[in-house]
Amino acid sequence: MNSTTTSPVISVSKVTKRFSQTRALHDVSLTVNPGEVVVLLGLSGSGKSTLLRHLNGLERPTEGTVEVLGQTVPELGQKELRALRCRVAMIFQQFELVPSLTVLENVLTGALGRLRGPRLGLWSYPRALRLDALAKLDRVGLLEKAYQRADELSGGQQQRVAIARALMQNPHVLLADEPVASLDPESSAQVMRLIREIAAADGLTVVCSLHQVDIALGWADRVIGLRSGEVVLDTRNEHLSKTQVMEIYRGLDPADVADLAALDSELAGVQLVGTAGPGSVVA
Amino acid sequence: MTILKDAPPPADAASADVAARAPRPRFPVDKVAGLGVIGAMIVFGLHALSSLDFSWSSIRGSIDNATTTFSRMDPISFPAFGDLVYLIGMTVGIVVLGTLLAALLSIPVAWCMAVDTSPAPWLRWLGRTISVVTRAVPDVVLAMAFAMAFALGSPIPGILALGIHSVGMISKLFADAIEQSDDGPRRAVRAAGGSRAQEFWSATFPQVLPAWIATVLHRFDINLRVSAILGYAGVGGLGYAMRIAFQQFPEGYGRGLGIAIVIFVLCVVLEVVSSTIRRHLLGTDPAGRGIGGRIVRAATRDRSREASVHESAITEPARAVTVDQMLKRPWTTTRVRNVTWGWGAVALVGASWWWADVDFSQIHWEYVLPMVQSFWPPSFGSYDFAVFAQAMLVTIQVAFAAALLSLVLSLIFGALAARNVAPSPGVRNFFRVTLVVFRGVPELVLAIFLIMITGLGNQAGVVALAFGGIGLLGKLIADSFEEVPRGVERAVTTTGATRNQRFFASTWPVGFRALVSNSLYLVDTNIRAATILGIVGGGGIGFYLTQASTVMSLHGQVTTLVAMVVVTVLVVEGVSTWLRRVFR
Repeated sequence: MNSTTTSPVISVSKVTKRFSQTRALHDVSLTVNPGEVVVLLGLSGSGKSTLLRHLNGLERPTEGTVEVLGQTVPELGQKELRALRCRVAMIFQQFELVPSLTVLENVLTGALGRLRGPRLGLWSYPRALRLDALAKLDRVGLLEKAYQRADELSGGQQQRVAIARALMQNPHVLLADEPVASLDPESSAQVMRLIREIAAADGLTVVCSLHQVDIALGWADRVIGLRSGEVVLDTRNEHLSKTQVMEIYRGLDPADVADLAALDSELAGVQLVGTAGPGSVVA
Repeated sequence: MTILKDAPPPADAASADVAARAPRPRFPVDKVAGLGVIGAMIVFGLHALSSLDFSWSSIRGSIDNATTTFSRMDPISFPAFGDLVYLIGMTVGIVVLGTLLAALLSIPVAWCMAVDTSPAPWLRWLGRTISVVTRAVPDVVLAMAFAMAFALGSPIPGILALGIHSVGMISKLFADAIEQSDDGPRRAVRAAGGSRAQEFWSATFPQVLPAWIATVLHRFDINLRVSAILGYAGVGGLGYAMRIAFQQFPEGYGRGLGIAIVIFVLCVVLEVVSSTIRRHLLGTDPAGRGIGGRIVRAATRDRSREASVHESAITEPARAVTVDQMLKRPWTTTRVRNVTWGWGAVALVGASWWWADVDFSQIHWEYVLPMVQSFWPPSFGSYDFAVFAQAMLVTIQVAFAAALLSLVLSLIFGALAARNVAPSPGVRNFFRVTLVVFRGVPELVLAIFLIMITGLGNQAGVVALAFGGIGLLGKLIADSFEEVPRGVERAVTTTGATRNQRFFASTWPVGFRALVSNSLYLVDTNIRAATILGIVGGGGIGFYLTQASTVMSLHGQVTTLVAMVVVTVLVVEGVSTWLRRVFR
């Protein structure tokens, strides 16, 4: 693979995605360089998750193309796609652990892409992999919980197990789909810090979708704003002003006022500039 | 928003104005059609009752008949202890192995059927076809056909018959469980580069396993009751011993009845055992909301409390452990329990193999292929379509007549067994227990009816089916009433409604849809049961099935007759699906 430092890890060009009637993405283009930690910022329905799901081939674009780690994702066959997915790990808003399995077994499922055939039960995984999985659990600070059922853990712990599962893939790229949307502020901070630490230590490229402006501003190298499936902002974090961020949320339907109000309270302390205040929409 | 802007209209003009502005209700064509179909089915049931000579005089005649038989037979007796143990072991062994076979066959079928796992639409179609066809072919017919290739009294036809017939129900419920499972873990495995098979075994299977075990145990209970009838098709065990005993009159009758009692007790005992296993092994019972489900849910609650204890332990500072130390899985109580149950199940299957006395040398391999081939092409033999259609009609009449009788009685029993309808908990519990007793006996009652009432007529069949039907439908009705959200009922009560007003305002509308689909489910079950009834001596299509399935050259007729049953069942299922959509 051409993993030279200069060529981008991810390049999305002119991607449009339609689901029957609705248009989820419109003419989206962007590139992500190795080791970058990027946030996709936008309200729900802005297309962040859909874009993310294009990066590991869970969705195919209606138009345009996606290149990840030198591979053209929409053109890959099942086998090549699985090989790519081995190197592109993903974590989810709802963690998506198998509730009835042990934590360790859930982590081990991260290695399935490298293994042949179905696995059932801890002993169906080689000892070396089990040791590796335990090491990953140790890394996220949950070694103690290895043999508990996944659904006995708190939300924050479950997301850390999911991160351990992602690490099991020894990935080059980590995709995170609203990783803290279901967590309380304290667990959120813990999970976001963990992702950042791991990204730094392993030199991972991270693409993370978020809707919380405050988390994004303090955390990312670069913020890409999406609105109604279009990129409306793409800037490095240090150049970013609150005004620019608020542009992402402009021009909303009155129906989104509630969302906006929630956003408003989230941004408490940040001076609102522009016309997108709740009052103006209602008028 | 607009209402806020508008000034309120003057009070006197309000009512007329509102009536003019109110949207006109759309004429509910589909609902009227649905009620029409339901009405037609009730009329058909009533007509069936009268045309089957279902009058008090004929019932009294049957009862007299039974009384005479009872008075002339020997006292009830049981086989010698050793024989009894052997027979019980054989019956249980056959049922365990048959049910296990069906469970294994059902996994790929369910995988093909379920939307979430099916690789292609044509495979979904194939899976559903297998499920419907295996459900529609009576196990007794299979057993009789298989008996051709085996010695009489051999367990293998029984195992195969149960194993194939049960695939219909088990695969359906397996597929339902898959469709109810969370898609997220599957997506996570896919995103990690897992294959389809890995997705299934790592993400789907662990999620559905509890529901699957519950399904298999449920089917085990059903199959155990069925096994008595399989004896009439020559399958060894208690049923076969009972048949042999009843062939001698009057000296065998006491023995026959004794064996019937053993079967009944065995059914009840193993039903208790299987619900206990469900409780211990699973902690959840997605299938039932009856007494069993209630007990199980109580257990589930304990479990979640246990889980919250773990949750609170989370904040404790972690003990220092190393990765190597953790490679050994600790023997927690949960692990000990699961491993014990797992090996217990393996031991049971091993023992079943031994009890059932499976002996492959009993298979006449040279007959197997001709036996399979003999079912094709379908034929009418010396009869014609009119004869078979007439027989099918009789079977359908029996099914509808029995379903109607069950419906009327189960509405009363079921309502009184529902927590939110019964006037007091005592009444509720009494009717719940009554329904359990009714449900515990159906096929057995059937069998005894056949024997007691010489020359079993269709009336006796209707009574037998209706009796079992009350147990099933009554429970389903009670459950569907209890599923009505409590909040709704409380809301109606707060308006000052009486008990009856509350029932018709909140409980009935919510329960009606379930009532319709459950009644049609009963018709569906009854058609199959009425077929079996014919096999063991009643009329209808089962009579011709029996004739045809014992002679290899007539097997073409079996195919024709089974096809007719399949089509009938499919039509009933179609109507049921449609009505459920109409009364959504």
